[in-house]
Amino acid sequence: MTTQNFIFFSMCLFFIGLFGVVVRRNIVIILMSIELMLNAANIALVAYGRELEHMGGQMAVFFVITVAAAESAVGLGLVIALFRNLKSVSTEDIELLKR
Amino acid sequence: MSELIKPQNLVLSTEQLAMLMPYLIVAAGAMLTLLAGVIRGSSDPEANRRKRNLAAVLVGIATVTAGLLYTAKIWGEPGAVLFNGMLAADYYTGLMNAVFLAATGLVMLSSYSYLEKERIHHAEYYSLALFSCLGMMLMASALDLIVLFVALEMMSLGVYVMVGFRRADVRSNEAAVKYFILGSAVSAIFLYGVALLYGATGSMNIAQLATSLKSDPTGNPLLALGAVLVTVGFLFKIASVPFHMWMPDVYEGAPTSVTNFMTTGLKAAAFAAFLRVFIGLNSGGQGGGGTEGGLDASLHDVLWVVALVTMFIGNVIALTQKNIKRMLAYSSIAHSGYILVGLISGGKSEYGYSSVILYLIAYVVMNLGAFAIVAHLSERGDRRCDVEDYAGLGYRHPWLSFAMAVFMFSMAGVPPTVGFAGKYLIFSSAVQAGEIWLAVLGVLCSAIGAYYYLRVIVFMYMREPARAIAAKFAPAAALVVLVATAGTLQFGVFPSMLIHAAKKAAMNI
Repeated sequence: MTTQNFIFFSMCLFFIGLFGVVVRRNIVIILMSIELMLNAANIALVAYGRELEHMGGQMAVFFVITVAAAESAVGLGLVIALFRNLKSVSTEDIELLKR
Repeated sequence: MSELIKPQNLVLSTEQLAMLMPYLIVAAGAMLTLLAGVIRGSSDPEANRRKRNLAAVLVGIATVTAGLLYTAKIWGEPGAVLFNGMLAADYYTGLMNAVFLAATGLVMLSSYSYLEKERIHHAEYYSLALFSCLGMMLMASALDLIVLFVALEMMSLGVYVMVGFRRADVRSNEAAVKYFILGSAVSAIFLYGVALLYGATGSMNIAQLATSLKSDPTGNPLLALGAVLVTVGFLFKIASVPFHMWMPDVYEGAPTSVTNFMTTGLKAAAFAAFLRVFIGLNSGGQGGGGTEGGLDASLHDVLWVVALVTMFIGNVIALTQKNIKRMLAYSSIAHSGYILVGLISGGKSEYGYSSVILYLIAYVVMNLGAFAIVAHLSERGDRRCDVEDYAGLGYRHPWLSFAMAVFMFSMAGVPPTVGFAGKYLIFSSAVQAGEIWLAVLGVLCSAIGAYYYLRVIVFMYMREPARAIAAKFAPAAALVVLVATAGTLQFGVFPSMLIHAAKKAAMNI
């Protein structure tokens, strides 16, 4: 397995995630897509770290994992708060602030 | 193959610990504030709640004050690089940290009575603000893109929650979710850009990135993609035009005191980090008036267009806004455009990047005051926030209207205010750098902007009062407005001190 393969894989993941954020309407799925994008970056960091024999990339992944955990905690909290008032988790129902 | 992280570089000397103290103070203060939120004392829950909020705001203010004092103490000292080149402690960091701490403190002061009025007062608010402030401080001092990413997230996560602080109101929920989805998606894009840059250059350190970019200018497509993704991340955070759609909605839906925090702290922090990365990558650390500051041609063209469109769209859409929060949001987008003009021309003019720093501070001061007034004039639930609702304010609250008029004049760039000093420096540095067209078009855009700022003043002074405005201004909030007014006028009449500090900071990046 060469680094190129890993980078190709991580790019696929990243663009699947980006596609999900742009296209999907369910906020929970959007959250999952964001996680996919972060993990794509993790794979790229680890692969490059291995190729460069540099610990920086592999260490960075730990920070990213921590941040991703905090982010999903906050995100799910916000979604629950939204669901209580709106009774929906679809972006199609978010229309109050549009003009 | 590459450098190892040496343990001896990770040990902190006493001087380095002193440099870190502002960050440590804010971190400790944020946790203490969180503790203040669980104080119990009496059996009456209402009394307990009051006690908790008061304790939290007092701890918060004390933290900010201690942080400011310590920042001032270490400010004059020679700069240092901490943690194996991860964190800078220099004059620029000191200045930006002071701005963030002061903005956070003033926002907390003015939030207290606002949150009481809105009945969404919880002690966690102050803790979130402090954590976010810590993220801002780290953003301005990060020398490594991963530190920058973690700081960015630290700053944003607190604010996502603050935007949704009016839990029972669906507008606040929507704004928070919208901001969260877009913000974290863009953070992920930024991070992927960092990963690609790391792969192409073997480092995440800004200085080392710059050297390997210089030594190897061959067009590696992954390198270019990484640079584009990182730039997109910054352009989103400063809300420049293709990525500005979130801002008016979030500004309108968030509680106004949170809008105040976002417009001052968050934007200043995003620009502070952008400036450091930008200078680091473009002129190899030559901050003030760097003559060699050769911007990459394609980046220059992209930023040129973005700056122009940002100024134009921000000002033109603001013309049509009825809600004053939305109007100020679009005006804030326009201000991002002006700052980008300073960023583009900074490398080639004698002012260097000091115009950017000066404008940032001007922007923070005037918006702080304006949003504090908007917050306290609105009725519960942020209703009655339209420009029409300010009709006749000049008769009922002469001092408040005077302050609002000062902020509006300052944002429009009328002379004896700090907004004028900032705009003057930005556009004259653009002329010096040979960006004549950008300067001319920028001044035209800001002339469009004058219309909607002056409209507020016209409504305040030249219309009959439409309603009784029951503005009960708490002393703390009045103090914030007073400080912001004094700052706007003081720095407007005597800008030399601020220009000097901005110049020194720009030299030290």
